[in-house]
Amino acid sequence: MIKLLKLEFSKFRKSTVVILLSTMFIVFLPFSLSVGKLFKDLPPMLPSEEVFVRFSTIWEYLGYAGNWMVFFFIGVLIIYTITLEVSYKTLRQSIIIGMTRNQYFLSKLYLILTISVIVTLYYTVIALIIGFINTPDADMAMAFSNEWAIPRFFLMSIGYLSFAMMIAYLVRNSGLAVFLYLSIVLLIEPLARLGHVKFLGAKFQNYYPMNCTEDLMPLPLLKIADYVKSSDFDLVVLLSYKTAAIATIIWSAIFIGISYYNFTKRDL
Amino acid sequence: MEVLRIKNLSKNYGSIKALNNLSLVVNSGEIMGILGPNGSGKTTTLGIILGILKANSGQFTWFNNKYENHRLRIGSILETPNFFPYLNADENLDIVRQIKGVSDKNYDDVLELVKLKGRRKSQFRTFSLGMKQRLAIAATLIGDPDVVIFDEPTNGLDPEGIAEVRRTLQNVASRGKTVIMASHILDEVEKICSHVTIIKRGKLMASGNVGSILSTDLTLELGSTDLMQLKGFLAAQQGITNINMIGAIIECNAKEDINVADLNRAAFAQNISLTHLVARKTRLEEEFLKITGKPSKN
Repeated sequence: MIKLLKLEFSKFRKSTVVILLSTMFIVFLPFSLSVGKLFKDLPPMLPSEEVFVRFSTIWEYLGYAGNWMVFFFIGVLIIYTITLEVSYKTLRQSIIIGMTRNQYFLSKLYLILTISVIVTLYYTVIALIIGFINTPDADMAMAFSNEWAIPRFFLMSIGYLSFAMMIAYLVRNSGLAVFLYLSIVLLIEPLARLGHVKFLGAKFQNYYPMNCTEDLMPLPLLKIADYVKSSDFDLVVLLSYKTAAIATIIWSAIFIGISYYNFTKRDL
Repeated sequence: MEVLRIKNLSKNYGSIKALNNLSLVVNSGEIMGILGPNGSGKTTTLGIILGILKANSGQFTWFNNKYENHRLRIGSILETPNFFPYLNADENLDIVRQIKGVSDKNYDDVLELVKLKGRRKSQFRTFSLGMKQRLAIAATLIGDPDVVIFDEPTNGLDPEGIAEVRRTLQNVASRGKTVIMASHILDEVEKICSHVTIIKRGKLMASGNVGSILSTDLTLELGSTDLMQLKGFLAAQQGITNINMIGAIIECNAKEDINVADLNRAAFAQNISLTHLVARKTRLEEEFLKITGKPSKN
């Protein structure tokens, strides 16, 4: 595993796109919390802007910002690391000079796992630093009272990145793969869910893959909406964390399986 | 020792049959040229034996299945040199080294061989086509492979680049490696290879050492003031075939035991005065055109 990860690092450590996307994630994630400070008139359910930077709510707000940033910056980065090797033909070359297809596939899978660990660690460190600075009388128990936010963030990353990997392996063209990835998450799946509700009813409409992943780190305000909706109507806005986690694991396994099958069976 | 055995390999791209039951054996120490017109299946064959294309049927074995990962013992360039453009020569070679599992990080030897030592810190994207090709040749030699495979190594190069790459290939061959080289440049194959395989539309047309493929015939060039009379005379001679008028001369094939002086005398006896008479071994180009010019049986 270490050998394959070192190889991936050697390939991409000087790639401008990879450096740019990583830097944007690193810079924008902590700064995303300051967006909350820009709102002068907060919605009535928010007691103060301090919720963005204090325990335990910081885990939710930073997690939600991370949700967007992992989806965009890191998802595109994963697509790029796969499709770039197709366009430079270094994928073919890696196989020609001695990697087995399994090894090559594993190198990308390890990359996804490692990046997910790194972004989760970064999320944890940022939440702890900002939380401890801004929360009066904070202690470790208060700091980690976060409804499993750390494993949820990790699973969310795996969900997005395995989906990005599948799109990259299927499409193999950088521009098209990024376009398709963004379109599915932002447009196609939400439209499909709307259609689902209209024609098939509300049941199961939450189980679409990217929705399950999003529900691991949802917009905190949606929890209130979910409470109201669920009480008044038979419509669930958010999946429970446990359900979202199980669904994300299943979807990720499917994405990885499809990627593996596609990569090992087709001509390169 | 048998290095590669290909048995009844077939590959289709939709309705197009790129390879049709191709069988071939390459032995240790041979410099095998795979010749064929564009689209004959040369690159497809190499793609399959290097693991990037899947055959529809047939099989191949490397080194009699002696090694667990045979590809680590093979150095190869397929079509174009494939490297990361933003990395320099050393960094790109280091990626090859890591994949091959070689511990020695010293690339002086291979860079010296391809005359790129002075540019080792330059990004790949700044290289000329010839330099890219030479770096690819250097990469094939990392880990001291038993077999090196080159696919159209001089494609797209200017005459100077071709000469550079050809010199490098000859250097590689002189190191005692088994070399497999696909090309449609016959002169290149004739100069470098000890063995040749000719394929057309994915079918094996001929295979053997270069001598055995070329030695059957002589090519004669004859000139006379009366070409029609000369043509009739040649047609009446035993062992002379493929008589063609090319401008002011006649070219034909003759069995290798033909005595050219006797032929001259016989012509003179029939009042045919030869103004031009050259006998030479058949060149690979002529043999290639003869073989691939015939329609395939299937």
